[in-house]
Amino acid sequence: MKSLKNHISVIIPLFILLFSFEFAVMLDRVVKNYEENLFNDYSIVIASMSKLDEENLKKEIPLIKKLEPLSTKKVIDKFKNDFSPANLAYLRSSLPKFYSVKLKYPPDEKTLEEIEKKLRSIPSITKVETFEKSYTKIYMMLNFSKVISNIFTIFIFIISILLIFKQMEIWTLEHQERMYIMGLFGSPFWMKSAVLYKLVFIDSIISAVGVGLFFYFVPKTQKFQEIMKSIGLDFSGFRLLDDMSLLLGISIFITIFSVTLVILRQRTELR
Amino acid sequence: MDKIIVHAQNLHLSYKKGEPVIKNSSFSIHKNDFVFITGKSGSGKSTLIRSLYGELPLEKGSLNVCGIDLQNVGKQKLNVLRKHIGVIFQDYKLIKEWTVEKNVMLPLMIAGYSKNVCTMQAHKLLKHVKLLHKADKYPLELSGGEQQRIAIARALAHNPLLILADEPTGNLDEYSSEVIWDLLKGAHHHLGTTIVIVTHKIPSTLGINYRHYFLDGGVINEVS
Repeated sequence: MKSLKNHISVIIPLFILLFSFEFAVMLDRVVKNYEENLFNDYSIVIASMSKLDEENLKKEIPLIKKLEPLSTKKVIDKFKNDFSPANLAYLRSSLPKFYSVKLKYPPDEKTLEEIEKKLRSIPSITKVETFEKSYTKIYMMLNFSKVISNIFTIFIFIISILLIFKQMEIWTLEHQERMYIMGLFGSPFWMKSAVLYKLVFIDSIISAVGVGLFFYFVPKTQKFQEIMKSIGLDFSGFRLLDDMSLLLGISIFITIFSVTLVILRQRTELR
Repeated sequence: MDKIIVHAQNLHLSYKKGEPVIKNSSFSIHKNDFVFITGKSGSGKSTLIRSLYGELPLEKGSLNVCGIDLQNVGKQKLNVLRKHIGVIFQDYKLIKEWTVEKNVMLPLMIAGYSKNVCTMQAHKLLKHVKLLHKADKYPLELSGGEQQRIAIARALAHNPLLILADEPTGNLDEYSSEVIWDLLKGAHHHLGTTIVIVTHKIPSTLGINYRHYFLDGGVINEVS
């Protein structure tokens, strides 16, 4: 019973730590995915009185990836029945040229303002529409959720590490007499500490597998998928090999590191 | 002259810059000696024993045990020394989470013997101390006398050059004490092990030749 309690005292903080870490990783993935989709659909629309040269514009604004002319055919077609061919021809020649500007990567608010300023400084450009308000709002919201999630993970990480350290200290004190007796007969450090390393190794695996199973199976449930679909998020899911190795690695590293640190601290007190 | 197992020269021992417990003491213990160290309570008997297995660092002087100089000795050399020594304590110092058999196997496991060899040797020793039938028990299931017999079996397991015993019968009744003295005498007689015992009283019916050191005022003097 005592042994089970000891194990649970390590497994729970470790599970929470790994859970928050994996949650942050998953959220980052979802946000990135969402950001990519958002960016793919995003473009700046400009109206120019004369034809624009893509290469010149790229030189002026290196962030520009592509300049695509927008067809005015649909607009002119709307007036087909109401206007005479001569008037239509006049309209066609007097309409400005519309372009869609695609960027290389998602700009922040400041960059977007700079791009707009540079575009407006080109004399032939009469109108620039960056859709700044809606774009920036979503972009900021995503970044904010990422920051909040990261802060939350850091807090959980610190608290969990402290809890694990405390438990390691309790374990070391419990094993201190055995380690002392083994030392009296010339036992090397690794042999005296082997039991503790074995215990934390088992707990690390249990915690990592537990978190892995949660993140592997829960997103596969119908309910979860329905929620994701309704909020328009593309959940790429748990990458079994990559994420599991990462969880195991972090879990083993943290526990081995904490137990070594606690043992070394105790070791200086024992000759 | 016989080989010297312990050699102390102008030895000073103290606890963390306090008044020296052992002052300017010089003595030698030879191979196959059976030595008693006596003295009043607080005279430094246990301190001396602790320094012999390297738990207490020297303040001044020199101390050589089993060929290892204990002045500024490192952890690795200390482990080597302890592989040549068997220690017995008044409170037995058995690992209570381990079975009797595993406790006896401890020095052999540290020496790196295979599990089969460890088990065989442990059974041999348990038979010798007449506790083979309790091999699967845990120390706390045994009486004080039985626990001390296990501690002796453990101290003898790796065939040490030197056995250091700190009040080995201090917690035992007369009958159990006699059994312990017989086991220690047997180890000395049959295996040629050097034995150093710290005690406040030498048993009157020991029936062997021994050397006797007396600790008084922090100085060790040979009585006989």
